[in-house]
Amino acid sequence: MDLGSLLNALILGLSIASIWLIAALGLTIIYGAAGVINMAHGEFIMLGAYSSYMLQYYLGLPYLLCIPASFVIVGAVGLALERGLIRYLYNRPLDTLLATYGVSLVLMQGVRLIFGSDPKYLAAPEIFSSNISLGFASISSFRVVILLVTALCVLGVWLLFYKTRFGVQVRAVMQNKEMAASFGINSSRVYMMTFALGAGLAGVAGSLFGVLAIVLPTMGASYVVQAFLMVVTGGGSLAGTVVASGVTGELQSIFAFFTNDTFARFVIFVLIVVFLRFRPQGLFAQAGARR
Amino acid sequence: MDFTRRRLLTTAAAASAAAIAMPNIMTSDKAYAAPLKKGEPIKVGLLFSLTGALAVPEEDSTLALQYAFEEINKNGGVGGVPVEPVIVDAKSDFGVYSEKTKELILREKVTALFGCYTSASRKAILPTVMQRNHLLYYPTCYEGAECTQNTICTGPLANQHSQDLIPFMVEKFGKKVFFVGSNYVWPKESNKNAKIWLEKAGGELLGEEYIPLGSSEFGPVLNKIRDAKPDFIFSTVVGASDIAFHKQFKQEGFKVDTMPIASLTTGEIETRAMGAEFGAGHFLSAPYFQSLDNPTNQKFVENFLKSKYGKNGVTHYNMEETYLTAYVFKAGFEKAAAAVGFENVTPRAIRDHSGGVRVEDAVSPEGLVWIDENNFNTWLKPKIGQCQADGTFKIVKAAEKHVAPDPYSIYPDAGVCTKDGLKAPDGKVRTNVI
Amino acid sequence: MGNLYHNKTAQWLVYTAFFLGLAVIPSFVSDDFLLNQLATYGVYGMLALSISLCWGFGGILNLGQGIAFGLGAYGMAMTMQMQSQTESNPIPPFMLNNSLDQLPWFWEPFSNTAAGLILSIAVPTLFCAIFGGVMFRARVSGPFFAIMTLAMLSAFYTIILDRQPYTGGVNGITPPSPLQLGGFEIDPYSSTAYWIVLAILVTATVVAKLITQSSFGLVTQAIRDDAERVRFLGYSVAGYETAIYTISGAIAAFAGCCLVMLVQYVSPAQLDVGFSLSMVIWAAIGGRLSLLGAMCGAFLIQGAQSYLGDAFLATWLLILGGFFIVVVRFLPNGLASLLESALGLLATKPKTPAAETNGDAKPLPAE
Repeated sequence: MDLGSLLNALILGLSIASIWLIAALGLTIIYGAAGVINMAHGEFIMLGAYSSYMLQYYLGLPYLLCIPASFVIVGAVGLALERGLIRYLYNRPLDTLLATYGVSLVLMQGVRLIFGSDPKYLAAPEIFSSNISLGFASISSFRVVILLVTALCVLGVWLLFYKTRFGVQVRAVMQNKEMAASFGINSSRVYMMTFALGAGLAGVAGSLFGVLAIVLPTMGASYVVQAFLMVVTGGGSLAGTVVASGVTGELQSIFAFFTNDTFARFVIFVLIVVFLRFRPQGLFAQAGARR
Repeated sequence: MDFTRRRLLTTAAAASAAAIAMPNIMTSDKAYAAPLKKGEPIKVGLLFSLTGALAVPEEDSTLALQYAFEEINKNGGVGGVPVEPVIVDAKSDFGVYSEKTKELILREKVTALFGCYTSASRKAILPTVMQRNHLLYYPTCYEGAECTQNTICTGPLANQHSQDLIPFMVEKFGKKVFFVGSNYVWPKESNKNAKIWLEKAGGELLGEEYIPLGSSEFGPVLNKIRDAKPDFIFSTVVGASDIAFHKQFKQEGFKVDTMPIASLTTGEIETRAMGAEFGAGHFLSAPYFQSLDNPTNQKFVENFLKSKYGKNGVTHYNMEETYLTAYVFKAGFEKAAAAVGFENVTPRAIRDHSGGVRVEDAVSPEGLVWIDENNFNTWLKPKIGQCQADGTFKIVKAAEKHVAPDPYSIYPDAGVCTKDGLKAPDGKVRTNVI
Repeated sequence: MGNLYHNKTAQWLVYTAFFLGLAVIPSFVSDDFLLNQLATYGVYGMLALSISLCWGFGGILNLGQGIAFGLGAYGMAMTMQMQSQTESNPIPPFMLNNSLDQLPWFWEPFSNTAAGLILSIAVPTLFCAIFGGVMFRARVSGPFFAIMTLAMLSAFYTIILDRQPYTGGVNGITPPSPLQLGGFEIDPYSSTAYWIVLAILVTATVVAKLITQSSFGLVTQAIRDDAERVRFLGYSVAGYETAIYTISGAIAAFAGCCLVMLVQYVSPAQLDVGFSLSMVIWAAIGGRLSLLGAMCGAFLIQGAQSYLGDAFLATWLLILGGFFIVVVRFLPNGLASLLESALGLLATKPKTPAAETNGDAKPLPAE
């Protein structure tokens, strides 16, 4: 084994981490702020990929514009879902898990009915089909795009939550909904906005994954469990998810480097269980959060 | 309250005991015959997934078979009567495969089953098929190492699939190769066969990696390949992963002209889904390509695509192999009917008479094939195609002679698959080895 | 005052009638397929029962019931596979193809049918006892425990896929012949197989029902409603939680064995996340607070899937998902709560003496 390969594995780990993170980011917000266990998150990701496909195929929108457009479209879907269903379930967290699982079935089958079950093709600019070489290490430019978009999204969410008036409201509602309401914060509106935001972020993830891998009605299912594990391991906070994804991505890359991919996954699942045994509240639990 | 509870308990216990002790009149007769009557259509079961993850290849299989039976019925049917396909949806769920198999055999009383794409679903339904002495037409490539008296397969076995591909690639691109596959039985078995051809061709294996089924993260594997610097990659990655693999191959900066992927799976459908820019230049070994240049195939492609079953706009190896099963069934059935009489044809009789049946050049889009008399797999000519910029394949090499199927080629110690079962080296014959 | 729905005598009568109804089915049905199918539904019923016990009565949402179910199923498949191996042919064919030339040590005990059957139940039960014990002692609960079971399930799924020489990988294990018990072959399509499943289902239900009515069951229900208070009262919350989780796991292990007896096949799909989620769905739709309700939920959903699934091919999942959303939204306690409310309306009227003596004056158990 030489150092260069290990370095490569570490860089790749960063990229894998960014994929896990962008998949889990929206979920973190929804779970962290509203306590909703959204099993339809994977299908939001899938919807993001399909919206990009649609915009590109029917309207000829350039790929880079498809990403924010997917954010808006999937965010709107999330908004509708929150108004139509989720808001009735806020005081029953386990029921949100079940209801959103029903939603995921409906979304998956709905998309299949409209677009068919064959995989769709999402094109990215030619420039992303190359790699960047830095001496020993090399990484594909599209992975760099994912990394940048993820960093941008995390930064945006952080600014929104910690530097704006809306963020103060969200954090107030997270800590004590009734108290916040008595200070005139419209908690219903806060929940609605965070849910839409979380769904929109899933849409961004989807438009990225569509290029990296494949656009299929079932594509979301493979992301939702791992995204959940990141959120819970992180403790439902933004920093927690970032750290959890970072560590897990690196671990996966390194284990896959020394053994094989399947075994790497097994080790990670077991490590997560062991970790949560000793720290059930996750890495950085939010102090004073209800639940 | 206690009284009630105790009484209920005793009643329940007594009822269960009585139930078990009741004389067992139900151990059903395993010999199973489809009730055939002259003049009534022959029912056959089409067992594929029309929904769920497996629907992508299997929906096409259903369409190909519907088309084939419609064509057969138009030309006089099988043994003079039309065939009536019973279509069910296995929902990509192995439990449903098993349930639907039972439904088709026990309730619909079909004469034969056509179905499955993955080995796992085949393994899920074989116990039922074998127990009822029924017949499964399995229409795609698989790993072999099975010897049952109830299946007929029209796809290439592992020993046929890579026989030409590996020497061709070694000669054209170089000796060093890296194996990548999905983590399950078929890729592992195919790779064992490929290693034998590689050794014969004087090649060198640099590494062998398996990816979880359905995974779309190829970063670690591509890093290992980058370090190993092979001359070409031999891929047995399937399904959605295969598409992710080709995309990331290009995104990571690999060049198709210096390190192409030689695949056993990446056909017309996959290429279309990944975009031809990611597929162009890579190689595929298969017995059939849409671009095969012969009159039968041209007619088949034209007629199929304009029929109502051709809505997906493509014909590919898996569809064609599925299409052939219908004609293998027709030939086997008619041979059995001639031997034992139409009314006495059973699924097992069809199978026993299918040894050696041929699908001629005039019918088979891939050209003449026939069923092996011992192991009931297919003699065929594997071909190698290179994907072009428009997503079609150009045939760069076709086998000159038919290649024999040999399900135990790499396990000579296990024995030889004969008509009556697996004949071990010690002379013992075991039936239904799966 | 008393709602007939909460009347224990009435409950036992309904349960008896329900199972008597199931028991006489083979006398009317000669369709092999239907019998086998109903027996398979019985297996799903067992799973829904186990979820109802654990989640409805213990408050522990378990998204990883597939672990106990799958381990039981693999144990049974290994037992059946070894029954078909002989002196001259000592190891399963799939191992030969994976270059194993002798039986792995953990397969050895399965050569003996009795030992194999005992292990098929004991291993998953022990796993639940240890896993549950460790987790509940650390006071992991609620959604966290649900996610942990999910992670554990995924771990098992992955490792079974990966260790192909020992487990058959994604193809699973296909025992070539039916289960032999004491010299008899249990034809999966016979009424014998049906009755075996039914007997286990009845036993599991009676045991579960007795548990929910015992003082043990009342404590678990109290833990479900408020674990902290029960802890302050001096109960070992972790002990109770572990116990109910383990019993539920054991029932799932029995279900796994029964399924393999019926279908002669096991694969990692039995440990798929989707399958474990559907168990929860059955219980949720039928009514997790009612054992019988949960079972009926399984029968209902699986029956509809078998008989309506093909008719509504493309829209079936839409219908299922939509139905599920509606039930969760408007009937959080499932379809059984409809019956409860209906009977509740009746209860305002003068009641029968039986209802009066049994149905009042204590906190109502969940059913």
